[in-house]
Amino acid sequence: MTSPFHQKIRLALSNPTLQSALDNNAERRNTARRTVYQSLPTDLQTMRRRAHALREEVIEHLDQYLSEFIRNAQSNGWIVHRADTAQQAVAIVLEIIKSHKAQRVAKSKSMVSEEIELNPALEKAGIEVIETDLGEYIVQLRNEHPAHIITPAVHLTRQQVGELFHEKFGLPPTDDVPTMTATARSVLREVFLSADVGLSGVNFGVAENGMICIVTNEGNGRMVTTLPPVHIALMGVERLVPTLEHLALMLYLLPRSATGQKLTVYTSLIRGPSQDGDGCRERHLVLVDNGRLALRRTSLKEALYCIRCGACFNACPIFREIGGHSYVGTNGKHTPYGGPIGSVLSAGLFGYAEFGHLARASSLCGACREACPVDIDLPKLLLRVRAGQIQSGTKTQSHHPNAPWFLKIGLRLFSMIASSDRLFSLAQRTMGLAARFLLPKNDWMPLPSFTGWGYSKDFPKPAAKPFRNVWHELEATAVETAIPSVSPEDHRESPSPPSHPTNLMEWFAQELQALGGEFISCTSSEVGKKLLEFLQQHQINQLQVWHKHYLPAGLTEFLEQNGIKTTPQANPQLKAGLTGMECAIAESGTLVLPSDRERPLTASLLPEIHLAILRKDDILPRLPEALRRQETFKSPVTVLISGPSRTADIEMTLTIGVHGPKRVVVFCLD
Amino acid sequence: MSNTVQLFVTCIIDTFYPEIGKAVVQVLNRVGKTVEFPTGQTCCGQPAFNAGLRDQARPIAMHTIKIFEKTRGEIVIPSGSCASMIRHHYQELFENDPDWQKRAKTFADRVYELSEYLVDHLGMTDLGARFPHKITYHSSCHLLRELGVDRQPRALLEQVREAEFIELPYTTDCCGFGGVFSVEHPEISAAMLERKITNIDATGASYVVTCDAGCMTNINGGLHRLGKPQRALHIAEVLASR
Repeated sequence: MTSPFHQKIRLALSNPTLQSALDNNAERRNTARRTVYQSLPTDLQTMRRRAHALREEVIEHLDQYLSEFIRNAQSNGWIVHRADTAQQAVAIVLEIIKSHKAQRVAKSKSMVSEEIELNPALEKAGIEVIETDLGEYIVQLRNEHPAHIITPAVHLTRQQVGELFHEKFGLPPTDDVPTMTATARSVLREVFLSADVGLSGVNFGVAENGMICIVTNEGNGRMVTTLPPVHIALMGVERLVPTLEHLALMLYLLPRSATGQKLTVYTSLIRGPSQDGDGCRERHLVLVDNGRLALRRTSLKEALYCIRCGACFNACPIFREIGGHSYVGTNGKHTPYGGPIGSVLSAGLFGYAEFGHLARASSLCGACREACPVDIDLPKLLLRVRAGQIQSGTKTQSHHPNAPWFLKIGLRLFSMIASSDRLFSLAQRTMGLAARFLLPKNDWMPLPSFTGWGYSKDFPKPAAKPFRNVWHELEATAVETAIPSVSPEDHRESPSPPSHPTNLMEWFAQELQALGGEFISCTSSEVGKKLLEFLQQHQINQLQVWHKHYLPAGLTEFLEQNGIKTTPQANPQLKAGLTGMECAIAESGTLVLPSDRERPLTASLLPEIHLAILRKDDILPRLPEALRRQETFKSPVTVLISGPSRTADIEMTLTIGVHGPKRVVVFCLD
Repeated sequence: MSNTVQLFVTCIIDTFYPEIGKAVVQVLNRVGKTVEFPTGQTCCGQPAFNAGLRDQARPIAMHTIKIFEKTRGEIVIPSGSCASMIRHHYQELFENDPDWQKRAKTFADRVYELSEYLVDHLGMTDLGARFPHKITYHSSCHLLRELGVDRQPRALLEQVREAEFIELPYTTDCCGFGGVFSVEHPEISAAMLERKITNIDATGASYVVTCDAGCMTNINGGLHRLGKPQRALHIAEVLASR
């Protein structure tokens, strides 16, 4: 009888569309990851080891970090809920939604929500829930599960998405990715503006200041955490870092490993609800355990170090063949966590009997461990799952190894034979003779398909005389040849650090432009004129602006005098927004924007064009320096913006301008 | 440095490829080593360990340790996978038995994979081999990622006279063997092997060199089934050839 897992595998292998989509994913992601690692400030292996030690520390002292985090989050105004189980988490979310009589929930990506099966529960309760990440939206429209934790629609081609949009929105059949993205932008824009509740995941929680960090590219994560009056963040209890310094380390690794970016377009650092009217006023944090604290006490603990970057999926040769939808339980139930880490997590969190077999679909090649930015020893964990060694230290929940019966019998016999040289020798000779008797002329044995091996390859014939029996014929002594011994050369290349301009402004400009951002250098006396020229060129006569305190002196007045209307109010009709910034980061071309009533978040989010004023002296070389500036984090939300909003959710095709601005233009005051 | 070296030939080479065993001995002789073959040896226990059957793997590992405890000096294994099993996984296999863990560690400290032994330990790369063919190299997973051995076999192959070396595209991708995996998941294994063979085709090489008889068996099994002319070889066969 074929298991549901095997059925899915066969289905995936015989689907040429899926195969080419998976190839495309692996090729692009793996290349991008390797390339971007070269831009790390310290060598990758050192950073991986640091990140591993950091995750280990957090998981070892999780109770302590968790209470520190909760305390600080609460004092920032977060309403914190704890859910031990998936059912409790769902009930808490439903309760919040009902207490606001909310009808419509706009949701950005959250794997925890997949894990607790939130969407079906909300729909059952009559609540409309709309996924807003492009990939998630596509799979929701198709009534499917995400096929990859980072790239949910990885299994689909642009033609399939084009047909879907044709069917759902009456869009003329197209395979043009920008057209489809634009459609999603306009459909979902209405959702963001009308949603009663925004629901998001969390990438990291920072214990020292109770802040959460969400990384996104399209801008939907910012939308759902900014526009609706109520925000619910779902977070796995293990996703903590002690300090902002540690967050910087994680942010060096997560986007690079996930999508090959130095930073994602938006890194939202949410301290708490807004006190003064800008942005979301009520924020709930739902901390979900769902088996994590128990897993912490097992030999699979290291799986909790995972930061959900998906690099192991992309590196895994098995994932590349079968894709994310194949990872199903013994009864056919889908797990949100596939790939190498998912094969461990699913067994550890959702049940060994149901999901333990996933860990057997691995050649133990170690490509996952090599790709993992926090250096999780995945092959070791996969082997422990196979051995049924997921029992906790205190409780003895030991399982039996889950090898199939033929291996159990075969290897029991093999163990007996291979523990005795006489039996081993006898078995070798018997096999050799039998093979010669059955197939006197062949060097190869064409085994039947059911043996597994015979499915695609022939098997070598055992030697008539094994090595142990010919050994004595060899002249086993050293030949007195004088091959000169040379001292081993070390061929390992020490990668030279990538060069970047020493001038911070040039460095920043180079990085920003590489992301598709625009850089205009000018003096403070010219900036008004330059800006006006830009606005006139684009026929823009109205702007959402930050308060004049945060812009160069006289700039707002100058624009007003020249016929440009400025307003602090968010208005979806406005084409451009003008902001200042707290500082900028050269290494990733990033703008750091705090927010409050005078510095509205929407000005850098809703309009198609984001214009930003930067003072040259505010450019910092690297991320940790920006995160160290305490000034940055006084406001309820700080956003790190790296270029215009983007997506690669359809066929990994980069498309600029999804939910956030299509253009980011920085005027740098020299 | 003693002039004598112990050979742990591995169960696959012992049973299926005695000629590779001979080549290993020739290579070691050529670098001035006298080779001893403890005849009680069988297998390192990896098949059972990888299947998750640790209770079955343990007696095999104990047997192996006992056999080699009777000998002295360095132990050479012509397989990255078996060397890694001993070096990295024996500790976990005996995690509840400190006594055996210690014996396993003492044993593991004597163990070298063949190319690692020649290049790192002896400092030799030119063994005077001649192999007038187009060759390419498949990086076996455990050798590469668990032992960190890659430049060593390449350095050895670089010195082989008259061999034309062509780099294998995606050489570090698994060939789909994975021991019991290839039997439990034949369809996935086949798809992985198909990619490997496509890449081998792309090189135009006649021989694919590896340091593991497991990968070699897998690749050759596929090549033979498809009626392809190329062959996978163990590195010792190339190094022994003159």
